Amino acid sequence: MTELEAGRAQTLVPVRSAAALQRYRDVLIALIAFAVLASLPLFTGSKALLDFVIRCSAYGLFATSLNLLVGYTGLISFGHGMFFGLGAYSFGLIMQKLGVPIPMAFVTTLAITTVVAAIIGAICVRLKEIYFAFVTLAFQMLIHSTILSWASFTGGDQGLRGGIPRPVFLGIDLSNHVHLYVTSCALLILGLLAMRQIAQSPFGYTLRMIRDNAARASFLGIDVWRAKLAVFVLAALFASMGGMVMALFVSGAYPEFAYWTISGEAIFINMLGGVSTFLGPMVGTVLLLLLNDTVTRFTEYHGIVLGIVILFFALGLRKGLLDFAADWFAHRRETGEGR
Amino acid sequence: MTRTRMPGISRRSTLALMGAGTMSVAAPWVARAQAKTIKIGMPTILSGRVAQLGTSSRNAVMLEIEKVNAAGGLAGRQIEMVIRDSKGQPQEAARVARELVNTDGCELMIDAEASSGAFAVHEVARDLGVFCIHTNSETSALTADPKQHIPNAFRTARQGVHDSIVGGSYAAAIAKAKGLKKWATCSPDYAYGRDTTAEFTLYLKRFAPDVEIISESWPKLFQPDYTEVVTKILQAKPQALYSCLWGGDLTSYIDQANIYAMFGQMEVFAVNMADYTALTVVKNLPKGIHSGNRYIKTFPTTPENAAWGDAYKAKFNEYPTNWSWENATAIMLMAEAAKKANSADGKKIAEVLKGLTIKCPFGADGTVTMRGDDHTLVGYAIGWGTTIPQEPYVPEVKAGDWKTIFELEAEWKKSKGYT
Repeated sequence: MTELEAGRAQTLVPVRSAAALQRYRDVLIALIAFAVLASLPLFTGSKALLDFVIRCSAYGLFATSLNLLVGYTGLISFGHGMFFGLGAYSFGLIMQKLGVPIPMAFVTTLAITTVVAAIIGAICVRLKEIYFAFVTLAFQMLIHSTILSWASFTGGDQGLRGGIPRPVFLGIDLSNHVHLYVTSCALLILGLLAMRQIAQSPFGYTLRMIRDNAARASFLGIDVWRAKLAVFVLAALFASMGGMVMALFVSGAYPEFAYWTISGEAIFINMLGGVSTFLGPMVGTVLLLLLNDTVTRFTEYHGIVLGIVILFFALGLRKGLLDFAADWFAHRRETGEGR
Repeated sequence: MTRTRMPGISRRSTLALMGAGTMSVAAPWVARAQAKTIKIGMPTILSGRVAQLGTSSRNAVMLEIEKVNAAGGLAGRQIEMVIRDSKGQPQEAARVARELVNTDGCELMIDAEASSGAFAVHEVARDLGVFCIHTNSETSALTADPKQHIPNAFRTARQGVHDSIVGGSYAAAIAKAKGLKKWATCSPDYAYGRDTTAEFTLYLKRFAPDVEIISESWPKLFQPDYTEVVTKILQAKPQALYSCLWGGDLTSYIDQANIYAMFGQMEVFAVNMADYTALTVVKNLPKGIHSGNRYIKTFPTTPENAAWGDAYKAKFNEYPTNWSWENATAIMLMAEAAKKANSADGKKIAEVLKGLTIKCPFGADGTVTMRGDDHTLVGYAIGWGTTIPQEPYVPEVKAGDWKTIFELEAEWKKSKGYT
């Protein structure tokens, strides 16, 4: 079943109520997920587990936002990591240099990301396929090089040093591990919920149409360039959020956050988890981090293990894990119905 | 027929994955209460381009730990090292460091990270309060900048500014004696290359004011082809060349510059030449390259140092590196401090370690000191000499003067606003 089929409507009214129903269901799932995650510290004292979830939040937001471009719009960005790095650096620098309250730095970082993404996006989304991919990569390298060479401001290749100050706001103290954990979970769930709403909105279906047939969308009166630019900026915002969570986790920002390898990791996560379901990248994130953390415990030849896993997914499953599972369930149900 | 996407799929698999996640993260959790052995965590770089240096750090640590364990351990507790790869990524270094303390129960930390990774681990040490010795980061700011200072972190690596002071004064003496006025520089284009070159020329000009830099080249880090850099330098016709290229970059640079007979045409000062990783890899090591000592078993010229180098070679079938002695020194200091404190507790070790002087094969006068006010190592062997193509590679090393180093370092700190 494709999403277009799912969105196909007989009449207007049932569609509206179905959409509203789905929204309630999404919010409900989000609330339950948040409740489960937030109550974890009550049951376990494992700081490692909390660390793991914090990192999942950072990478999960980042990878899911990339999927808005890759899976929903068909824009394969190789430079999405620039916004992850931009978020981490803007947030860290604002906190270090200005000492404003954390929510203020958060919002300012999002504003900066919007402006930068709009400028870069305006140039990039005119291009298609491999050209788009490479120009985004070029911009990423530009930002990475700027971070490296502007050493007096960014600290160059040593990164932002001296830690990120975390003044208490609204009773939340982010230097407390549990507070940081709950805040990261909240950001992750809010981010995912917002992205889900974007994906299920009429705008989200416009994106799918652009992915499947941009010329047709254009003939239907859709301004393709504007829609692409809008989703490029939106995706950048969530990637930037991921970067901020990561900056808080490591209490700094490093040029590696804006390097192409981080974009590569996001693409890899999407491959692992799958791009045709909303939660695919989230599953991919958990998988990759689990793999990384367990494999590096036992061997320094983790490259070989990860390489084999990529091969298994690329040649064996030929799709992400969640895609595979969804297809399998759909197939089973269809054969079941045929009986 | 319309079917909405089944929410059960994603929910179920998400739950299953979360379960699996909890299991695999929680499984290695072992009871660490009052263990007889003490675990020391060590994040370092064991894969990628600098893996050789990370491995040499691990080797040196294991060599020293064996001795400490044979002598009864750390205040009576046998040491178990937990060494893990960070891939040279700061976020991985931070993660691994936290994992070592939180999951594996490591009570002390050896941070064998370079560059940004060391700063990432430093933040972890600040956050968790774990005792930590940085062994590989030479960036002066790590200990010189008071903003970085925390009571539980120390450094046993050489410091960039020390190297520049010694190198600058050594080079200035030769410049004056031989009348070398026109200089060129060629260093990798990143913070270490830029900073070290700037500091070197600062002190060179201070000691020999009529020196002039007529050409600067900044090849990329890990650049494979240096032809344009070599020809640019040859065209500028300098009398001397300074370079802080290192490792594979330095050896390919020398191999390529040899084709143009560069080394006969000017005096070359390459601070990172006198390390076995470079000395043994260059195809035709030219005679007479000036270099700072990194690790060389003939400097300091003591039997203890030679014995240490030979013991390392006998065990691992290769010579130690610059990172090796820095890591070995960390274990020596830690063991001595634990003995004095009669405790393996990080806080007590840190208290004793401040200002502690120990006997050490790598000391300029047979001892090294952990300076109390900025927690960095001083008194280690530091000097410059010239190369020959076979062992001992650098037969005579002129030792740097620590009194001068201290004076100029204090001045440098003031100019940076650190004191």
